[in-house]
Amino acid sequence: MVTIDDLSLKDVTLDRLPRLKRLRELHFATRPEICVELPRNITSYMKHLDNPADSPELRAGKLYKYVMENKRPVIADENLLAGTTTARTIGVVLYPDFMALSIWPELETVSRRKKNPFGITREEIKELNFDIFPYWPDHTVQEVAKRDNGNPLCQRIMERIVFYIATKVYCISHTVPNYAMVVERGLLDILREARERELSLGGSKEARAKKDFYQAVQLSLSGVISYAANLSREAERLAAKEVDTKRRQELLEMAEVCKRVPAGRPRTFREALNAIWICKIALHQENANVALSLGRLDQVLYPFYAEDIKRGLTLAEAVELIGCFWLKIADHVPLSPETGEELFGGSGSNQAVTLGGVDMQGEDAVNDLTYAMLKATELLRLRDPNVNARYYPEVSKKEYLDRLCEVNINTGATPCFHNDASAVEVLTGQGVSLEHARDYSSVGCVEPSSSGRTYGHTGCILMNLTSALEMALWGGKHRLTEDEQIGPKTKPAVAMTSFGEFKKALETQLGWLIDQVVTLNNNLGRAHQEIHPTPMLSALMEGCMEKGKDVIYGGATYNSSGAAMIGLADVVDSVTAIQEFVFDKKKFTMAEMISAINANWSVPYKKLQAMVKASPEKFGTDSRMARANADWLIGFLHDTFQSKENYRGGKYTVGYWTMTNHAGFGALTGALPSGRMKNEPFASGITPVSGSAPVLTSCLNFVARLDHTRIADGHALNLKYTPSTTTLPRFANTIEAFFKMGGLQVQFNIIDRKTLEDARKYPEKYPDLFVRVSGYTAYFKDLNPHMQQEIITRAEYDLVTGEEQKYG
Amino acid sequence: MTSFSTANLTTARPLVFDIKRHALEDGPGIRSTVFFKGCPLSCLWCQNPESIDPGPEIGFYPRDCIKCGDCVQTCPVSACALEDPFLIDRERCTRCGDCVEACPGRALRLIGRFYPVDELVDILLRDKIFYEVSGGGVTFSGGEPTLFMDYTSAVLKVLKDSGIHTAIQTNGFFAWEEFGEKILPYVDLIMFDVKLADAGKHREYTGQSNKPILTNLKNLLAERAEAVLPRIPLIPEFTATVENLRSISDLLKGLGVKKCSLLPYNPTWISKAENFGKNVDPRLSRHLLTPQELKKYRDIFSWSELVTF
Repeated sequence: MVTIDDLSLKDVTLDRLPRLKRLRELHFATRPEICVELPRNITSYMKHLDNPADSPELRAGKLYKYVMENKRPVIADENLLAGTTTARTIGVVLYPDFMALSIWPELETVSRRKKNPFGITREEIKELNFDIFPYWPDHTVQEVAKRDNGNPLCQRIMERIVFYIATKVYCISHTVPNYAMVVERGLLDILREARERELSLGGSKEARAKKDFYQAVQLSLSGVISYAANLSREAERLAAKEVDTKRRQELLEMAEVCKRVPAGRPRTFREALNAIWICKIALHQENANVALSLGRLDQVLYPFYAEDIKRGLTLAEAVELIGCFWLKIADHVPLSPETGEELFGGSGSNQAVTLGGVDMQGEDAVNDLTYAMLKATELLRLRDPNVNARYYPEVSKKEYLDRLCEVNINTGATPCFHNDASAVEVLTGQGVSLEHARDYSSVGCVEPSSSGRTYGHTGCILMNLTSALEMALWGGKHRLTEDEQIGPKTKPAVAMTSFGEFKKALETQLGWLIDQVVTLNNNLGRAHQEIHPTPMLSALMEGCMEKGKDVIYGGATYNSSGAAMIGLADVVDSVTAIQEFVFDKKKFTMAEMISAINANWSVPYKKLQAMVKASPEKFGTDSRMARANADWLIGFLHDTFQSKENYRGGKYTVGYWTMTNHAGFGALTGALPSGRMKNEPFASGITPVSGSAPVLTSCLNFVARLDHTRIADGHALNLKYTPSTTTLPRFANTIEAFFKMGGLQVQFNIIDRKTLEDARKYPEKYPDLFVRVSGYTAYFKDLNPHMQQEIITRAEYDLVTGEEQKYG
Repeated sequence: MTSFSTANLTTARPLVFDIKRHALEDGPGIRSTVFFKGCPLSCLWCQNPESIDPGPEIGFYPRDCIKCGDCVQTCPVSACALEDPFLIDRERCTRCGDCVEACPGRALRLIGRFYPVDELVDILLRDKIFYEVSGGGVTFSGGEPTLFMDYTSAVLKVLKDSGIHTAIQTNGFFAWEEFGEKILPYVDLIMFDVKLADAGKHREYTGQSNKPILTNLKNLLAERAEAVLPRIPLIPEFTATVENLRSISDLLKGLGVKKCSLLPYNPTWISKAENFGKNVDPRLSRHLLTPQELKKYRDIFSWSELVTF
């Protein structure tokens, strides 16, 4: 319910919340440091205490109990919430069975590299070199999958980098846990349920497996409760030493909070926030945090907030607590070795918070807390959490959309906008019940997912569509891997006589690539089942308790796997250029097209390039040809992926969001028939190629009218508006129209090219400039040069003329 | 200066030189604006110089030129020269369009295309939802949309049937009877230009007398006052003089007008005119109006609601 009059909360400022102001300054002044606590604890447990005769679930349960019990309680700053992801102010977590080993060769240089350096001490380097890393080379998910499947082709193909990435080698956390359960019941109640269910089981083999699962839940949750108790003791210890009476009081309150939660049901807004935060930390010890998302916090926390307001909590105090939570979420960064940084770096851990939208009955769910959370977002301007706003045309209020736009204008990059009407359709199309669909939240970048019920690993596959296009042009070979026959041998493009023949070859190559990547994801999923069940996550996911199954075995109510496609607009434009110029108008031959792209559109081919680029038949325009090709490609990918089953018995869904991968894959890819030059970034997400969609309304029309039920893993439409022209209601009108036409998601950078160019030149002047990448936000200075270039040249629309700005 | 009778264009196939979508300044809300080619006036300051001549013209867009020289090779009368800046000899050019065909990057474009009614309506309806959410619609501009009464009328009718808000921007130089029959019933808003009060100056700077224009304005106000929005372009040294604006102000007040629009001068059109090979009168300002000047002019109309979009 909305009771506040001033939705912008103009009286709540950072100057009036000095704690947040100082914490924010500390955040931006702190260099991330590698923390070895987690790998140390995991390694020493595995070396000395693990019993390989136990089931995978039980091993995991015991391990995480140990990890949580031995996690140091750190209270280092004046944040009102207790608990830290690592022992550092901003820590880098190493997961030894995932990708930690990739940093091994760089331990000596990682603190001095140019982009995103991480601090590390000599002692830590030594410990990693001699005590921790040597245990792991044969025990990573990647190696287990390789060994179990005899180093299969699908895994060797991934090592070529340019085709696809299967992310299970470094995480499985693209999901939204059921935090409502944490604040409505408390962990002890969940633990009790697991105990009762365990005791009610007989002695059959199947019952044995379930018993192990229930035990694992109890073990790991008891570890979380121990950690909270340790935090409470630490707060008491610090309070005893504290001379400042105000701070001492804060610490004593913190000790009380951690005594109560997350074991018991919280009584206050602060307790509820801290309960969720401690559980988040725990889940994060269990699994690398890549888009471990928070769900609908304004809904989950509202009862606690409303009660506290009645008891006298002020709006400013509420915003302060939310701000503390936002800063906690930003207390760690993901690990990236230098090569990864080069291609894909600059990403946060992309933890999505979802606000607003409708409730399970379809009624407007926006409440006062929604606005308080927007205020904290507006004040702090942090990369994490990634704030996603839901809007239901006709149901949500206009003033809510206006406020969302205002926050986007003021922050330049957040929140992003989701259309409830379309997202609900997407989910019900995948077999989610209507009520559960309405209770969706965004995972990671943009992926709609029923909150706390779906184990969807929505980012398990990142596939480079242009690699299939290359193979269709060269009969199954790729320019980067030269003469090696990668995909099936299809007819060389120069011998093709019809557009249909070309499309057929592209389907063959895409189909083959999908087979490979799905096989790989399933292999990796089985490796996770073998060595990395996640009992804490399973305890907080609807369905697992009833089924007596870990999420990794399909315990959740809904199971799916999401594959993100990279390079959509570039492939559609390339296919359309071939159709228009080679087959329809016969302006030049396929052989000439291939020579042109092999020559990177150099001098003898400049005229061809100008012709191709000037054609209005482009993704994001009124072109019927481009639309037909987009519909065909999206349909083919959806149908093919949907026909595959994942290792948990769920389906594969397809999405179009790209994080920084469109720049990374682009940097590895040669010139394309669309007129794109070698190494240029691809267009991001579901966004048209810059310069190809000059009319804003056409662009929005084109994307909105794509069949979103075949885009079930979400999409990111990334637009840039010129700040001086971006006003209400102009801004809100474009979103409203886009959603009424069926658009699924859209996000904006409200920034001009000059500012971005200046920030590239003088990063020190813009330490906290943050931008929307493709589904999430990042600090501009952290992005690699390809990605910076992509953001700078990304289509920028003038909201007065509705046309793309022309530069240079 | 070309002068032609309007009668022979009424039933003609009009050429459209631009369809501007997401237009915010041609009426309320988000609109699509259709710009016709052809105008019975030829104002010295015309901001759309490509709109005066009803025939097709060749436009040159320097940013898209890769200097390949195909146009020079192709032109049958040697009117193209690959110089810097690129030149089309407009005297020689016969507007055959061969260079446009030859140009690979669409740096040369044929300005002015006929759209069958169905096709134009199809394009205009694409943004219907944008009109709906913003209270916008479609505007016909030019050139002069009333030059093509039959065509404009046909499109307007279909749009009205689709529930779309319609507007026209007119210079007021039209045949009243025909306008009343073919256009008036189908427009929600008529933006009516009032440029100069003095008949002699009007003739000197626009090529036509203002007599029929002012008569039309009176008729229109008598018939549909609520739909009329007089617009006064503020052209320094020409229309934007205290004397002229006072006269217009008195005139409008006398006619019972309650609201009007002042259109501040924007000199960016000059470079566009030069791309089309038009001569720009040296008396025309190359500067924006100052806030002080604007205030001075607005004050003259302080009795009226001043509408801006």
